[in-house]
Amino acid sequence: MTSIYSSFAATATTKATALVPATTRATAQAQATATAPAASLLTLEHISLSFKGVKAITDISFAVERGEICALIGPNGAGKSSLLNVINGVYQAQEGRISFDGETRQRMRPHDAAVRGIARTFQNLALFKGMSVLDNVLTGRNLQRRSSWLEQALRLGRAAPEDDRQREAAERVIEFLHIQTWRNALVGKLPYGLQKRVELARALASEPKLLLLDEPMAGMNAEEKQEMSRFILDINREFGTTVVLIEHDIGVVMGLSHHVVVLDYGHKIGDGAPAEVRRDPAVIAAYLGTRH
Amino acid sequence: MAQTINPASAVLAGACANAPLAEVLAESAHPAPAAAVAPATLPNWLLRQSHQQAGRVALRHKRLGVWQQRSWRQAADEVHRLATALRASGFGEGATLVIVSRPRPEALLAALAAQWLGGVAALLDPLEAAAGHIEVLRQLQPQAVFAEGLLEIERLQASALTPALVIYADGRGVASLNPAGLALADYAQLALRETDCPWPVQAHAERTAFAFYRYAASGQIEQQRITHAELLQQGQRLVLAEKLNEQEEALAARAFAASGQARYLLAPWLIAGFCLNFPENLSTRDNDRRELGPTLVAGTAQTYGRLHELVLSRLPQPGSVQRRLVDWALDKQPGKVRKVLGEWLVRRPLRDVMGFTRTRAPLLVGEPLPITTLDFFAALGIEVRAWPDLAQWRDSAAAPNTQVAPAAPALPDNGWIANGAQAA
Repeated sequence: MTSIYSSFAATATTKATALVPATTRATAQAQATATAPAASLLTLEHISLSFKGVKAITDISFAVERGEICALIGPNGAGKSSLLNVINGVYQAQEGRISFDGETRQRMRPHDAAVRGIARTFQNLALFKGMSVLDNVLTGRNLQRRSSWLEQALRLGRAAPEDDRQREAAERVIEFLHIQTWRNALVGKLPYGLQKRVELARALASEPKLLLLDEPMAGMNAEEKQEMSRFILDINREFGTTVVLIEHDIGVVMGLSHHVVVLDYGHKIGDGAPAEVRRDPAVIAAYLGTRH
Repeated sequence: MAQTINPASAVLAGACANAPLAEVLAESAHPAPAAAVAPATLPNWLLRQSHQQAGRVALRHKRLGVWQQRSWRQAADEVHRLATALRASGFGEGATLVIVSRPRPEALLAALAAQWLGGVAALLDPLEAAAGHIEVLRQLQPQAVFAEGLLEIERLQASALTPALVIYADGRGVASLNPAGLALADYAQLALRETDCPWPVQAHAERTAFAFYRYAASGQIEQQRITHAELLQQGQRLVLAEKLNEQEEALAARAFAASGQARYLLAPWLIAGFCLNFPENLSTRDNDRRELGPTLVAGTAQTYGRLHELVLSRLPQPGSVQRRLVDWALDKQPGKVRKVLGEWLVRRPLRDVMGFTRTRAPLLVGEPLPITTLDFFAALGIEVRAWPDLAQWRDSAAAPNTQVAPAAPALPDNGWIANGAQAA
């Protein structure tokens, strides 16, 4: 067991080193220790969710601190995406409660979550494929608009200056994620990796406090993963955005995250810093399949 | 954390007068009647343009999807503020400012600021491998560095040098990463810092303005140094030959590290006083060229080759009716009908797509174009004219050349060598 574990740990470290630039990684880790936040941004307490008697999530509790990158990992069917859906209100948990930014609720609709500063990307892309990159990013700015639909339709009152402000904000995100070249391209015609970046741009355009990323690197090659890792770290560092992400590539997770939560069959089996989780026998067993 | 510097030295502050900066600078540039004597250095030309066409657009840079612009007066003021900051860090005559940047106005203005103080702007190609830069940086031991962003600063850190001042234009990730304790300064802050302290131009015509570096086949570092006089002589020749004036629009679309760019774009920009445009980034330059429609294009064989390939890749499939129409229109020796119809149906739209609609000075600097590419542009009605790449590379260990280069071989009055057989 020990030797297998060592191999797992070594592989994870090697991958992390390869995928995340050394300086960036050092910064992320330094930041994690240096900026210990006073209060959690997100707290889940005893969350349980079931679908017609099938338990997807059972009694899960953990906290995400402000400014950290938290990774949710676990084998397929562990309940990671369901948990993300509970956090942003797509699913309503039957038990437990969620505190976000100092406010505790048992139920929250997706629109409320967005208004309160939670944005997300999806495992399977959910973009407007017939629209341009710029227009897709602008849709992420909808909640920032103050003008009425009538003002917007007739371009009266606040609409015109607001359009300029929204465009500038969208352009800043486009510049930040280096997608200027494709600004006017139809999203449906872009390669998959770029579409993932556009989806991230749209989420970022809403200026979220909490960014939920559901497998942001799925289907990407090593180079694209490295690029995406860098963008996620930059978002966290430059804007202070708290990130919760689901990722299967353990190397990426270990290099990117300040905090890792491990799920297996709807239960939490690990929670802590990457180094601690990597050493946790329950986590190793779940990943190596010896437990079930 | 990033270490901030105070560019206003006590010595300078004591010497400052409160006279309006623009007036003092104009006086410093033109003690005699302005038009009487041609300025002898690049910063003096900047001041002349600032005096003669203060409000006219000098530089345009696409950022956040919008063309942002600077007038000649703003450009001159910005250069003066940067020169003040450089001076405060100890930068003086003969000192070197290394610039590692993609084409952007900040890099150009920083180069002019270094030259203002009598220094040299050494341009390194940001697209080259980091290892090559580290060796050159160690050899140069620059007093100041303009690093575009985080990646360029990381290269500087890897070289273990600590220049007196490191100016960066893109602050992303820089503030939280400075283990080497570099004296980092944000360009935007330096450029905005008010100064009423006039500092006269200290550049000399016979001193080096720009230096370029490359690796020879033997692995040795070679350098090319160009004086103010040489640049202005060649720039003047181009301006006269191509009849360039202040109405031109040019696009600086190459990495900011080629001597051809200094000779045939930067010097003519200052002499003719036209508008120099910078693309959003290198990957958007073809889009930006199309949007802008520059009248002056100073490109290399790679520039024209890339455009040729871009057009070929987007033409209709060979054998299709549309492709046959294109081939028919691009015939080398069209008759009258074909010439007129071809112009309206194919050649003009193609020039539009490439951004060559308004181009009246398509210049080629350096290596000649392959014949197929040359023919393609000729068929479109774009007569690419070759200008000599007068690069003289020498071992960088040799003593720097600070004298005026020997006079170039006699050229016709317009500076143009017929038949395109230019010196390389």
